[in-house]
Amino acid sequence: MIPRYQRVLFWILAIASILMALFLLHGCEQAREKLTRHRDETPLAAPVATASETVHLALADDADGSIKIADRELALPSETTARARALLSRLIAEYTYKNSAHPIESGPAIDDVFLLDLPLHPPVATRNSSVKSPEAGSATGNPAVEPHTPGGQLAVVNLHGAFADHHPSGIEPEMLTIQSILGTLYANFPRIEQVRFLVDGKPRDTLNGHADLNRIYAVANTTTR
Amino acid sequence: MNRNLVVLDPAHGGPDAGASLGDHIPEKYTTLALATRLRTALTAAGFTVIATREGDSADPLTADQRAEMANRTQAVACIVLHATTIGSGVHVYTSTLQPMPEDAATADSPRVFVPTPWETAQARFVGQSLRLSDDVKNALATGNLPSIVGRAAVRPLDNVMCPAVAIEIAPLLVEGGNPTPVTDADYQQRVANALTAALKTWRTHADSRTVPQ
Repeated sequence: MIPRYQRVLFWILAIASILMALFLLHGCEQAREKLTRHRDETPLAAPVATASETVHLALADDADGSIKIADRELALPSETTARARALLSRLIAEYTYKNSAHPIESGPAIDDVFLLDLPLHPPVATRNSSVKSPEAGSATGNPAVEPHTPGGQLAVVNLHGAFADHHPSGIEPEMLTIQSILGTLYANFPRIEQVRFLVDGKPRDTLNGHADLNRIYAVANTTTR
Repeated sequence: MNRNLVVLDPAHGGPDAGASLGDHIPEKYTTLALATRLRTALTAAGFTVIATREGDSADPLTADQRAEMANRTQAVACIVLHATTIGSGVHVYTSTLQPMPEDAATADSPRVFVPTPWETAQARFVGQSLRLSDDVKNALATGNLPSIVGRAAVRPLDNVMCPAVAIEIAPLLVEGGNPTPVTDADYQQRVANALTAALKTWRTHADSRTVPQ
């Protein structure tokens, strides 16, 4: 025989559980309504067919160590950093084709490209955070990066680690890849004056044991022949 | 400047094996072998040779330490040795730094101490390095060795205060035949002989040229 107080306690707990379940369901319903109310249900922009344009690729040749300009028809995004990334990705893709004059293992190469307006001052490391003059920044040992012409930009090219690790090792192959990237940026982006390379978002000493990546490269016409 | 002193830098070493040159041969051994041959040839030609590494130490000098070693010697030339499987022939590189006037401090101007930035220490010597690379190119041509001459951002070229070139040997392509690998002893000896001839020419030139102190 179950005591009466236990039966009363059971029914109280059962009713409390049902009430709590109803309360939770109500809360979930309210949360869903709130999310639905703020959802932007306007349709996505319809895809637009971008017209192809002529771009100039500075293509390297291992046989004679030369860089030559070759024109290609490409549809590129309009936003500048996306354009730069797409263009450099296409450049590296050229080297993964069969019979390439500068063969590179296929795989993702360009993770991202960032464009920064110059001059660029280093962060100021000081106890007094109210003092933030550019001159104080140079006192940390990192000089400001100045433009050669007004409006000049610094491109930060972030490479995939796997690309750097599997890149053919040697002074010639590594320098040709860098010169190819610099030459392509020079030929297509007149505002980009300087380039800094990162690998997986971090500074790295060399591309794959030889070409120095711990420096800012000047963008120039790297065609040699 | 010591006109009989040459600094050789066989690149890589220790945990830094460099490029893989096929059959699991790392670049560090090939550069060391080439340096040994070159050292013998240079010594026979009357040069004193200092090498930044003699063997494959587990704890080799860093690029900065190699440059420091070279900068203390006031050598007539500093030669950095590399090897690769890409391309063909011998690649001759000089620093990418813009040359500075070698006679910047003239007799008329007051002598003012101007510190040399480490990252651009080679700038004062780029003109001489370019002339040295010309001598190397001519000697390689005389030895029937194809060459490519260029500029490269390779450490420690920018940090050394002497006429400096980086020599990278690549397989020797033969028309209608198999390429000669960089590990071939005869090929390495031919390169060493050509470099010795170039440095003998350079030593003669160094006598007749104004050399910054």
